[in-house]
Amino acid sequence: MKFAIAVFSPAHAPSSRRALRFAEAVLEGGHDITRLFFYQDGVHSASANIVAPQDEIDVAAQWRAFIQDHRLDAVVCIAAALRRGVLNQEEAQRYQRPAANLPAPWELSGLGQLHEAAQLADRLICFGGD
Amino acid sequence: MTTLHVIAHSPSSDDRFDSCLRLLGAKDAVLLCGEAVNGLRPGSETALQLHAAQLQGRLFALQEDLHARAISQDYAKALDYPGFVELSLRYDKVNSWL
Amino acid sequence: MAKSMLIISRQGPWGGPAAREALDIALAGGAFDLELGMLFLDDGVLQLAIDQQPMHLEQKNLSANLQALPMFGVDQLFVSRSSLTRRGLGEQALALAVEVLDDDELSALLERFDHVVTL
Repeated sequence: MKFAIAVFSPAHAPSSRRALRFAEAVLEGGHDITRLFFYQDGVHSASANIVAPQDEIDVAAQWRAFIQDHRLDAVVCIAAALRRGVLNQEEAQRYQRPAANLPAPWELSGLGQLHEAAQLADRLICFGGD
Repeated sequence: MTTLHVIAHSPSSDDRFDSCLRLLGAKDAVLLCGEAVNGLRPGSETALQLHAAQLQGRLFALQEDLHARAISQDYAKALDYPGFVELSLRYDKVNSWL
Repeated sequence: MAKSMLIISRQGPWGGPAAREALDIALAGGAFDLELGMLFLDDGVLQLAIDQQPMHLEQKNLSANLQALPMFGVDQLFVSRSSLTRRGLGEQALALAVEVLDDDELSALLERFDHVVTL
């Protein structure tokens, strides 16, 4: 079965880790992930600038590794990202901001990608809140 | 079409629990995770509310959240992540109360 | 066959970007001609209060975004009667033409859609 997974919370929120563990279980169960979509504060889960405390797990790094290892389609909503200061190189240059903090494997795109993923998937599951 | 409702917020923090129970269809299910599992603490107001809602067989909780909080209960069925994935496929759609 | 989506908007308009971000999901889907519905529930009903003047908070008025919903083909619009009543809002004075639903009609509403996103 195909899953579209949307993440609405930052890396330090338990729900971001929960989304990751769910996504891992989806693949381990032999299912597919059509897309991971990061919206609202979920864009912070994609930030390359997160420095997790030494005595805590680094969920942002784990997301990056998961996406790269499984070559998943990971989209960060551009409108939500800009508002929250999560920019890739192109946007940092466009808006003349001092730093880019959204590298590969993340891609910036619009909400149309969330809708497309929902159309292609058997289930759309959103994670957010606590 | 049946819905699996997922709640991750503490029941005492806002009205997501109440709203979810208002919207709940007769064949829908509820999965509690994160701070929402506090609603299962025996004797709590929310536990009483959940019992009154007669959710036997359709109330679930993430096991790691129950264990982390040392909550011992036998009303909600505890699940691991593979169980969560399987549950999401047992219902037609999943609605998370973000 | 295309899948339908119901968006449940639960946040008030001026407490943060969630209300606007829920509307953005609806408008984006409408732009792709998808079948979408929107339910205003809990504090989400506060978005529909008339005569709001957010310029006093230096915020953008969401009424243009709300009015755009039917223009983008998102015309299945609903509001919870009990949420309105609890917040002192009258059904007759709302900023958008919506169908008012009682609690027992809400679960039937959810059943009609393939996906639900609650913000």
